[in-house]
Amino acid sequence: MTEYVRDRWVSIGMSVLLHGSLLALLAFGFWHFHQQQQAAPSVPINATVVDARTLKGTGTVSTPAPQPKQPPPQPEQPPEGPPPPTPDELAMRQQAAQAEAEHEAEAQKQLLARQQAEQARQEQQQKEQAAAEQAAQAKQAEEAQAAAQADKAAKARKLAAAKKKAAAAKLAAQKEERKLAEEKKLAEEQAAAERAARVADLQRSLREDEQATAASGALASWQSAITSRIQNAWIRPPTAQPGIKCVLNVGLVPGGSVTGVSIGECNGDDAVRQSIQTAVYNASPLPPPPNGIPFPRQLIITFQPTN
Amino acid sequence: MKQTPRMATLLRMFLAVLTAAWLAAPTARAQLQIQITSGVSNPVPIAIVPFAEAPTDYTDVADVIQNDLVGSGRFTALSRDRMPAKPTNAADVKFADWKAAGSDYVVVGQVTPIAGGQLAVDFNLLNALTGQNIARQRFVGSSTALRNAAHRVSDVIYQAITGIRGAFATRIAYVAIVGQGADQRFQLVIADADGYNQHLILESRFPIMSPAWSPDGQWIAYVSFENHLSAVYVQRVLTGQRTQVSMRAGINGAPSWSPDSRKLALTLSGDSGHPQIYILDLSTQQLTRITDVPAINTEAAWSPDGRYIYFTSDRAGEPQIYRIGASPGSATERITFTDEYNAGPHLSADGKMLAMVTRDDSGNYRIAVQNVATGDFRVLTHGRLDTSPSFAPNGASIMYAVRPGQGEAGILATTSVDGLTGLSLKPTKGEVRDPSWGPFIQ
Repeated sequence: MTEYVRDRWVSIGMSVLLHGSLLALLAFGFWHFHQQQQAAPSVPINATVVDARTLKGTGTVSTPAPQPKQPPPQPEQPPEGPPPPTPDELAMRQQAAQAEAEHEAEAQKQLLARQQAEQARQEQQQKEQAAAEQAAQAKQAEEAQAAAQADKAAKARKLAAAKKKAAAAKLAAQKEERKLAEEKKLAEEQAAAERAARVADLQRSLREDEQATAASGALASWQSAITSRIQNAWIRPPTAQPGIKCVLNVGLVPGGSVTGVSIGECNGDDAVRQSIQTAVYNASPLPPPPNGIPFPRQLIITFQPTN
Repeated sequence: MKQTPRMATLLRMFLAVLTAAWLAAPTARAQLQIQITSGVSNPVPIAIVPFAEAPTDYTDVADVIQNDLVGSGRFTALSRDRMPAKPTNAADVKFADWKAAGSDYVVVGQVTPIAGGQLAVDFNLLNALTGQNIARQRFVGSSTALRNAAHRVSDVIYQAITGIRGAFATRIAYVAIVGQGADQRFQLVIADADGYNQHLILESRFPIMSPAWSPDGQWIAYVSFENHLSAVYVQRVLTGQRTQVSMRAGINGAPSWSPDSRKLALTLSGDSGHPQIYILDLSTQQLTRITDVPAINTEAAWSPDGRYIYFTSDRAGEPQIYRIGASPGSATERITFTDEYNAGPHLSADGKMLAMVTRDDSGNYRIAVQNVATGDFRVLTHGRLDTSPSFAPNGASIMYAVRPGQGEAGILATTSVDGLTGLSLKPTKGEVRDPSWGPFIQ
């Protein structure tokens, strides 16, 4: 596009130069003709005609208007008092002049139009530029405003977050405080309960001891009687070696009869299991407890051979 | 959301367990705790009810089982005339009656003919106190194998109640001497472990000694004095095919199998007067000397792990038992110290117990066992001249030869390793000696 515009201007410039030269030549010819006519009037006539035709043809062919920057030279005022031309010459001259005038007028008109167009274009350009500048300014302003707003919003958010965090921390601290307080309270309560339990335990234990002291001899001998009875009933298989441990839960009815035996933790083989169950049943009924002690409903028997 | 009911169930269960534990805790404290640290070694009372017998059968299966169990020393049997009933099915056993009769366990069973002329032996072992059916099994065989089926029943019962693998369905080898003077014959016999079902596998006018059953059960090695010269033979049990493996100058004696049944430890004297222990590789005939002390070194016994050879030596004066690594140049260590005379070592299959003949202060020769690890020593028998101990493959019993008195024929007997029971085997013609208890039959 730029290339095209430049070419165009070059063409216009060339055309204006050419027209200007031709006009100057015409004026000189006209003047010279008058002078020559005075001396030898017949020679330069042909040249003028040829020039005029060429000029016209060139002017018609050349589309671009003359360069507006360099106003075309004004046609020279014909010298006053020229010798009267011949009617042909006159006609031709008139014709040429008319063509020249027309051409001039046309050029003027075109120049004007171009000037106007240029002006309009410049105005338009200025307008556009102004508009663009205005738009740019507006945009800049807008952006600045947006940035300002964003900044403001971010600051606001930050502030809000900080506020929230602070609130949460405060809440957590309060919670922790409450929890600690609760735990402390609970611990105190527990400690109190334990103290109470210990006291109760102690009292009970003292009572029991009083009873037990009376019965302890009898109790121990009863326990030993049960142990001995089961040991005598236990036909120990060869696989019941030290390291074997089997716990039996034995159900009893008042009177000491075994109603059920269940094997708990036991690392013995099937023979060991058979033997200990059989032993307990064979030991039934177990010897009765001393007076005042009820027969337990359950008995935990641990078989743990030591040698 | 679907899991919620399940979670709730789990939670309820958890809470139930917690509650139970909480409830149980004070209860447990109220329970009486009894600690049992010892028992008795009494025989277990058992009742072997006569089996329902097949009409074609004359073997009293229950009787065979009863003899096995009682003979082990670990059982006592309820005599048939004291049995409250004679049930042959588990469903017919009234436990209270048997408990009242003093039997902890009851065995019932049947022998029934099945297809192909075979017999099936079915049995149930019941705990009369708990009412549990502890074991039930079926063994199938020909009518001639009924005793073997009965021994297998005994094995199952024995293991269920003692925890030890039964060794009733095993065999023994021994030497029998029959006839007098010019008619005297030496016999190599194999029989069931209870002495029944005897098979003669070699008979000779010359002495046969020291039979030894190979650990794989395929061979018996022995010493034979054919033509008055000692030689060591190995004989295939099933075919009777035998091979002389050593007939060197001097003594060829006391063969003992390596655990892999590929080598024999032997006593060879060569031209010197000092018998030494050698190892003979049966496939290569390569002979390796093991002991090298100018004394009597004999009666080798391979440890079941193959690492040691135990043997008798008088290097310290009186015979004692030593052991040496089963390769040349190994160190020797003395094993027995208890009595002045200890000889004829034999190791249990687990290598933990050493049986031997020991002479007490009164000059009696008896069977003793020593714990290899602890050195604990215990005399098991009470005879005047008890010799040739051989462990059962389960290590629970020892078979040995007994010479009851001057001029009396020797017999075989068993003792439990705890020494609580002894049993003489079925009497045989003539004198028997040198028992060797074979391995488990797979």
